Amino acid sequence: MTSLLHLEQVTHFYGSVCALRDVDLTIEPGAIGLVGQNGAGKSTMIQILLGLIRPSQGNATVLGHNVRSAGIRLRGRVGYMPERAATVSGLTGIEYVALAGELCGMPRRQAMRRAHETLSYLGMEDARYRRLDEFSVGMIQRMKLAATLVHDPDLLMLDEPTAGLDPDGRAAMLALLKTLAARPGKSLILSSHLLGDIERVCSFAIILNQGQVVTAGHLEELRAERQRCYQLQWDGEATGFLAALRKRGVEVQVDGDHARAIVPDDWNTRTFFVEAQEHAVLLTGLEPEEEDLEAVYHRVIKSPGANAAIA
Amino acid sequence: MSLESIRYRDWSGRLRPSWFACWPIARTGLLLVLRRKLFWILLGLALFNFLFLFAMIYLKFQFVSQRPGMARFIDGILSAATGTGETYRDFMSAQASVTMLLLAFAGAMLVGDDMRQGGLTFYLSRRVGRWHYVVGKLLSIGLLVSLTTTIPALILFVQYGYLTDSTDYFSENLGILRGILGYGLVLSITLSLLLFAMASWLQKTVPLVMSWAFVFLMLPALAELLRSAFDDRHWRLMALWHDIRLMGTWCFGGIDTNRELQLLPPAVVIVLLVCVFSLIAIIPRVRAVRVVQ
Repeated sequence: MTSLLHLEQVTHFYGSVCALRDVDLTIEPGAIGLVGQNGAGKSTMIQILLGLIRPSQGNATVLGHNVRSAGIRLRGRVGYMPERAATVSGLTGIEYVALAGELCGMPRRQAMRRAHETLSYLGMEDARYRRLDEFSVGMIQRMKLAATLVHDPDLLMLDEPTAGLDPDGRAAMLALLKTLAARPGKSLILSSHLLGDIERVCSFAIILNQGQVVTAGHLEELRAERQRCYQLQWDGEATGFLAALRKRGVEVQVDGDHARAIVPDDWNTRTFFVEAQEHAVLLTGLEPEEEDLEAVYHRVIKSPGANAAIA
Repeated sequence: MSLESIRYRDWSGRLRPSWFACWPIARTGLLLVLRRKLFWILLGLALFNFLFLFAMIYLKFQFVSQRPGMARFIDGILSAATGTGETYRDFMSAQASVTMLLLAFAGAMLVGDDMRQGGLTFYLSRRVGRWHYVVGKLLSIGLLVSLTTTIPALILFVQYGYLTDSTDYFSENLGILRGILGYGLVLSITLSLLLFAMASWLQKTVPLVMSWAFVFLMLPALAELLRSAFDDRHWRLMALWHDIRLMGTWCFGGIDTNRELQLLPPAVVIVLLVCVFSLIAIIPRVRAVRVVQ
């Protein structure tokens, strides 16, 4: 199977500023989240993947097409949903989506038929003859998604698709994206600052920092790399108990009658009970801490390895 | 219907080459103009002028056989119905004046809004390059100009020839046909490039209308003032409208005086310079738009 993305030593400069540096990646088809702070290189990477700019150095292929030579043709197989409004005011919903199809190279009739199908699929059939100027932010986002889907691309690239949406609209959009990502043979790249969105839709994440890929992998694998954390709760005087844990190499952050304990790799959970018994402490709570993507992101960004790689 | 009740359907088909995208861009621009009532008023003015001349030519030919005196009367009061090159040049100039007004108001919608409201981002995020967009928009403005100038003039030419009851009119007046197409092309290319350039920088209707008025009203007035003050016809070259018209006259083969012929080369140079500078002004504006924020 052709890999979805393959980047080899991709570097890109804007003048003397390096926006992406030595990016090596091979990603299989699926739902991929692109994570990074402002200025991390996400936009540059998306532009390269869309064939909008050519990398200063290195090579990249998307769906088997070389971004250097494919250029515009690449966007026939990729659908990009921009972050900003990106509408043509004065057009109706159906005209807008059909125009998007035609701009991707579809014959007019097929684009119009497909626009009807896509808008029905997205639950927008009642709004298709209304002008875009009358739409709410949520409806505009759906229209943009319809315009992205109309030519049935193999890869969807979505830039902040939930920006400006209320909680209900956001949930609906994410549910929709999850359904779209599950289609066989189709892939999705979701770029967002909202890591919860990426967690809900994607199974794979690429974390960028200062123009470099800090880590890339399946979310479960990334979570598995986490430091082992526990939430502890107790009754009684626990000073001795906590001191004993610290002696065993546990990093303890106390907050009242509970604490967060980061344990060494070879830690056995039973040791908590052993020490508690020895120090006459009643453990009332012991819960392994689940690490979400946000925690993974912060851990990875702050890790010495990441900083060393960047340096 | 909702997401649960409709399954996503794949689409498979052959995609057309990217250059085909210029047409939907041009068509959409025309559609947006034709959708506004204000523009219909201006188009109505142009249509009225066309229908008036159309009717006059028809009546003239009716009277030629039935009441020759009346036909001469029409010729007398309406010099524009003589079927010569001047007829069509003057008609196209009059139509172009209305078109200029239309373009002044439509420029912001055709180009400015794309820059301000993200329309350009929409176009460029599809299988469309920046040049496809530029060509599509120029085509859109050019078509608007042609719809009000060249096409009505061609219809009048065909009508005139048809009413003469022989094909001689067409064969003897091929120069007029060349003139209509040439003048139409000069008008379309110059106005579309200039409007695109100005609208891409000014973007909003009010500054665009003011600048347009400066180029096509103030400058000619100033040129005329300077001409009479210094008694030098060259000052007229400042008026772009005059230069375009001079080129139009040349297309119709109507330049027969030495004085006009002297002004033609600088007029051509000025029109060409306006076109080149407009194109140079367009490129950075279109390049400045970032598809990915």
